[in-house]
Amino acid sequence: MPAVQETIEQVRKIDVDQYKYGFESFIEMDKAPKGLSEDTVRFISAKKGEPAWMLEWRLEAYRRWLTLEEPNWARVDYPKIDFQDIYYYAAPKSTPGPTSLDEVDPEILKVYEKLGIPLKEQEILAGVQKPVEETDEANDNVYKSGRVAVDAVFDSVSVVTTFKKELAAAGVIFCSISEAIREHPDLVKKYIGSVVPTTDNYYATLNSAVFTDGSFVFVPKGVRCPMELSTYFRINEKNTGQFERTLIICEEGAYVSYLEGCTAPQRDENQLHAAVVELVALDDAEIKYSTVQNWYPGDAQGKGGIYNFVTKRGDCRGDRSKISWTQVETGSAITWKYPSCILRGDDSQGEFYSIAVSNGYQQVDSGTKMIHLGKNTRSRIISKGIAAGFSQNTYRGQVSAHRKATNARNFTNCDSLLIGDQCGAHTVPYMEAKNATAQFEHEATTSKISDDQKFYVMQRGIPEEEAIALIVNGFVKEVIQELPMEFAVEAQKLIGISLEGSVG
Amino acid sequence: MNIHATPQRTPAETAFVDAFGDRLTQLPGDPAVMIKRDSAIEQVKAGLPTRRIESWHYTDLRRLLTSVADFDAAVSTTALAPLIEGSKVLTLANGVSADDKVALDGVSVVRLAEKLVDGSFAPALDLYGADDAIGAVNSAFVADGYFVDIADGVELEHPLEMQNLQGGAQSHVRLPVRAGKGVKATIVERQTGTGAATVSCVSQLLIGDDAEITWVIVQEQPDSATHLAQFKAEIGANAKLRLFFMNAGGKLVRQEVIVKAAGEGAEFTMRGVNLLSGDAHTDVTMVLDHAVPNTSSTELVRNIVTGRAKGVFQGRINVHQYAQKTDAKMACNTLLLSDDAEFSTKPELEIFADDVQCGHGATVTEIDRTHLFYLMARGIEEKAARGLLVKAFLAEVIEEMEDEPLVEALEAKLNDWFETHV
Repeated sequence: MPAVQETIEQVRKIDVDQYKYGFESFIEMDKAPKGLSEDTVRFISAKKGEPAWMLEWRLEAYRRWLTLEEPNWARVDYPKIDFQDIYYYAAPKSTPGPTSLDEVDPEILKVYEKLGIPLKEQEILAGVQKPVEETDEANDNVYKSGRVAVDAVFDSVSVVTTFKKELAAAGVIFCSISEAIREHPDLVKKYIGSVVPTTDNYYATLNSAVFTDGSFVFVPKGVRCPMELSTYFRINEKNTGQFERTLIICEEGAYVSYLEGCTAPQRDENQLHAAVVELVALDDAEIKYSTVQNWYPGDAQGKGGIYNFVTKRGDCRGDRSKISWTQVETGSAITWKYPSCILRGDDSQGEFYSIAVSNGYQQVDSGTKMIHLGKNTRSRIISKGIAAGFSQNTYRGQVSAHRKATNARNFTNCDSLLIGDQCGAHTVPYMEAKNATAQFEHEATTSKISDDQKFYVMQRGIPEEEAIALIVNGFVKEVIQELPMEFAVEAQKLIGISLEGSVG
Repeated sequence: MNIHATPQRTPAETAFVDAFGDRLTQLPGDPAVMIKRDSAIEQVKAGLPTRRIESWHYTDLRRLLTSVADFDAAVSTTALAPLIEGSKVLTLANGVSADDKVALDGVSVVRLAEKLVDGSFAPALDLYGADDAIGAVNSAFVADGYFVDIADGVELEHPLEMQNLQGGAQSHVRLPVRAGKGVKATIVERQTGTGAATVSCVSQLLIGDDAEITWVIVQEQPDSATHLAQFKAEIGANAKLRLFFMNAGGKLVRQEVIVKAAGEGAEFTMRGVNLLSGDAHTDVTMVLDHAVPNTSSTELVRNIVTGRAKGVFQGRINVHQYAQKTDAKMACNTLLLSDDAEFSTKPELEIFADDVQCGHGATVTEIDRTHLFYLMARGIEEKAARGLLVKAFLAEVIEEMEDEPLVEALEAKLNDWFETHV
């Protein structure tokens, strides 16, 4: 069945030419010389005032990177990237580590104001508050959890982190990774590269060599992080690549919910974003990681846009630990991203919820990996892909059970919807069972609403269109519900999208 | 990690390359065929596929193919009784055709050795792509087989059975079949023999409009044999193809199924059973193209894996841009019966049309304990109960063939396998 009109309208609203965050700000920047060499790596490390071991770590990654070739297995197509034509470091000039918000360049603050990101603590509530008409019963308790601490990363550096004091009182460390390397070197040394090693893949290795900033979160034993943590990434400067590195550690029994958002100006040339995110959950810990990815997707002709080549991986290191990834992907010219879980601890749990919408000439190749190593580990994958225009939308996922992973359990469900006959939707799941007690189920359904469901709703006097909307709402909520309330508002725009007539 | 060194030739690669040099003068072929052979061996020289080649991800042929049997004209084989009584049997012994006359109206059978020199066959030796290793090995070495042409409108009362028998040496055969418009026929392909043989077989089926073909592959190679097979078919408008395969032997087995629904209204049904035991490595890889509007397909593959066996199922359904109203469904269910058994599956969908219904499902699990309990509570011993459940799991697929003599014959094969392997 073809998509219903309502769906087409909804998707058109988030089409590439409707990009709202494409403005550019002119801020005086401090940049490293263009190109990549050992000197660039040394420059970045020196700028950050890093200890010698960190520089050595970076250089080792750089040398490794030189021996690697760009991966080409993903279903994406783009001209070769000239790694010598990129600035690897660009920082707003006025910020040699501002101690308070007043010292931050007002131009930068304006950028965040325009983006609707709350940086001033007293304005936090007002900042996330949306006009009443945009809320409905699904998010009327959006503000229940109150405040959000924000780390704002502008090109290569973190400009400000809010609520640090209050978090510190709870024992939670939330700061930029550069600061963490200086202030908490032992923690960083212990965990960095332990989930995504420097040798992992082409882009992760590049990131290890030249990462400039990102967030660091440490939640000590038994602490439930008192507020949502959030990082907002903005690429502003021309010809720069953004290489951020995020490291989140939850000790025994701790809990944190972390959100990430990103935007970039509208430009004709492509810009590279190669991030690495590492999550470590010890015994009984839980990490919830949510992303609303809205990088500039390129124009209607497919010109420009961000290349989003990201390595995200969580390690359920402890028994009974849990890592949950939720992503709403609407931006980027090319997305190459597979948030994964290594289920190492016994009884650990991994989850992946994704909505990927592609339009224009966007190419999305995204999915997850669930690597079951421990006993009684469970994982769940729910993926919804929507392709329109000339875009290509691929789900690529792997579920594997190690020989010792007795009673491993996985459920995978991926649906996709095509709008128009110029786009493509693809499903490439890999299932590898090396254990007889493993139980894997994969389904990619044609999510045409069942006649029974529709009949049930309609015989109560609800017209067909509304009945469909109602059922679809319930259907997509499976993913939307996993988002923290603060982000649900943004994701709400996608909620009404009908998945009728979708294909597996 | 992405570091490519120039690889040294493995013993198997060397054996193929050397054998080609030795046998070149004996291989039949007109000049066009010989050119195809040359380019095919070049592909083999470039190296057998490794797990880095996506379509060979779970079957690293370069590593798994440790040795190749010698060519030996002297090995003997024993003909089999046909799977279904009354079938017309065509035998290939040690890669050589034994029959060239078949007394069936409207059916012409020519030895492939003759076809290879008549100036018409070269295009059929084209490879499917850069990763078509089976096609390359076969095109380089194919020396015989049967070329079967069934005239328009012919309805065969009894199945036509082609037996490819190998007694421990190496052979490469092809079975091209052209079924004209409105043909109704059942064709059985048997693959068996003795000893540590190396066999490649490419079956090519062209189905005319409105025809209905049932093709049954029964592979029962000995536990030490290498079996590399390809089944290629193109289905005409409103024609139907029902493919059934049973893999019940072999050490290293790769069965490729490459089907194109080429005419509107074409229908493809695939049912398969993989019975894996011992150290077997069996890979079934399917690529299905829905190239025109209004075509449909269903595929169901069931596997049981015991011992230290490894099983693979890869299935890719391509729905082309103009193939609107495609209806495609694929499922692969696996029961792992031992701790060391492994199964990997990759059911892919590539869809470029928006008004289609496509779906796939895949499961891997062990025997449901509640089912086992149900039977045991009724006084059935655990072993017998397990056997019943596994047989039921597989019989379901076979029974869908709806052709009584065929179902009975296949169920008998299933029972034989259970007696010797479980």
